[in-house]
Amino acid sequence: MSRFIRQLRAELRKMFARKRTYIGFGAFLAVELLVLALFQLPKVQGAYRQLIEQAGYGFRDYFSGVTLALIVLLSTIFLLGSLYLSLVAGDVVSKEIEDGTMRMMLCRPVERLQVLAVKYLACVIYTFALILFIGLTALLAGVAQRGLGGLFVYAPLEGVFALYEQGPGLVRYLACLPLLGLSLLSVTSLGFALSCFNMKPAAATITTLSYVMIDFIFKGIPYFESIKPWFLTTHMATWANVFREHIPWAQIGEDYAYLLAVDLTLLVIAAVQFQTRDFKS
Amino acid sequence: MIELRNLSKAFKGKPALRDFSLTVQRGEIFGLLGHNGAGKSTTFGIMLGQVFADAGEAFIDGVSVKKERERALGKVGAIFEAPAFYDYLSGWANLEILTSYSAPVTRREMEEAVETVGLAARIHDPVRTYSHGMRQRLGLAQALLPAPELILLDEPTEGLDPEGIHEIRTLIQRLNRERGLTVLFSSHLLSEVEQLCDRVAILHRGEKIFDGRWESLATDGSRLALNVDDWTKTARIVAALGGKVLPEARIELPPTRDVAELVTALVAAGVKVRAVEPQRRSLEQIYLELTAGGGAKAGGPTA
Repeated sequence: MSRFIRQLRAELRKMFARKRTYIGFGAFLAVELLVLALFQLPKVQGAYRQLIEQAGYGFRDYFSGVTLALIVLLSTIFLLGSLYLSLVAGDVVSKEIEDGTMRMMLCRPVERLQVLAVKYLACVIYTFALILFIGLTALLAGVAQRGLGGLFVYAPLEGVFALYEQGPGLVRYLACLPLLGLSLLSVTSLGFALSCFNMKPAAATITTLSYVMIDFIFKGIPYFESIKPWFLTTHMATWANVFREHIPWAQIGEDYAYLLAVDLTLLVIAAVQFQTRDFKS
Repeated sequence: MIELRNLSKAFKGKPALRDFSLTVQRGEIFGLLGHNGAGKSTTFGIMLGQVFADAGEAFIDGVSVKKERERALGKVGAIFEAPAFYDYLSGWANLEILTSYSAPVTRREMEEAVETVGLAARIHDPVRTYSHGMRQRLGLAQALLPAPELILLDEPTEGLDPEGIHEIRTLIQRLNRERGLTVLFSSHLLSEVEQLCDRVAILHRGEKIFDGRWESLATDGSRLALNVDDWTKTARIVAALGGKVLPEARIELPPTRDVAELVTALVAAGVKVRAVEPQRRSLEQIYLELTAGGGAKAGGPTA
């Protein structure tokens, strides 16, 4: 076990020593601050004020830091999160193969599957670290601007409309973060699996992103309503269910079981590919 | 220490290795020679479990690499193809990361390895600032951790300047002498192999054409430099004995004839023989002869 931990630490050290790992963190921070800055504009606030007041609630009470943080999440996490997770996961195996460092690693007495397991776990840690970073910095920035207050949830794509007092709102916001991580883990898993194939890192990243985008587009086509459960992004969107008044835990469980099954399948495909290929330039 | 049994491998239908067998004894420095694409790196890849042979098996210290890779490589250090590192990290960090994939290594052991390869002054600098020679030395340092009994070096002097080549050669000799390390290395530089190895194997288009002590071919007594007064008569006599005349006053006798027969025949024909000197062939000459014309197999003794 201690050898596994040493290897995991080495893997995380490699990952977090690379500048590109921080592109996602930096980009999200910039986007958060930009969104929050734009929400200072009266025109932008006006639209939101209308929504809250039409529901019969006070704008000041519910246009809070938590609400702003959730707006940032809802509008950026899927697209940008998928992009940066694809970038890191699509790179993690294929870049090392391309650079030759995988050959160096496999000169050591270590099983291929162990190398793969360590790399995947590092990607999982990165996924949750990124989501937590985004969620918590958005919350801190939002609270710094508007203070704590009630949570106003308006997520038309996910079909959620709700309002919560400060305490429950904050709890639901914090609860959505690990679920968001679980949802986006499927993007990570897809990028990781493709990274194990004989393709360039950029190809793995682009293919992952393309799949996710196409899946998302298909999910949004009204005529495909009846086959929505076929699409990965349908299940990925389940994280927003935590904001419904009566949280549909059974539905959430079903969706994550589906996603975890997909993740596992992708891992098995990755393992078979990695275990059987020759590493020689 | 190493036993390769009937290894065969093809990449996309193109054979890279054909029925290649080899034995390397503990404590020796063994050279693997061959042209580009001869199958040297493929052999290393199979020994390290990074390439899967289509047929045959590789054993390290009696342990099958295919069936028990982790155990087989437990006492092996290796550089396979060009050493590659995480350029954005220091040499020291690279060593820490790579050694996390094997048995635990102490700081002292790492310092010793770094000292052995002469990288102490630059070990904490980013690898992207290293020269080619320094990268090769770092590659050697990681191969020395932790305490291997066998080192596999795939073209360790590739791209190095003469000083670098000399350093690596000296290092290999020292490691073999002081630590009793078994070394198997591949090279294009025949002069290096000549200076380092007692035994070599030569691969040609995936097939082994020689395996054994190259010295046995170097001084087999078949080539002689002659100093005679009549080359016309000498050529006739040499031809009659089944030999041939070579450039620069040299001749080659067939294995069935010896020097005494030649001298007797020359003297009997009235040729004044001033000097007869056995010619020692260099490894380069042996290699070129063996690989010319599709690589006829040499009849040298094998291990």
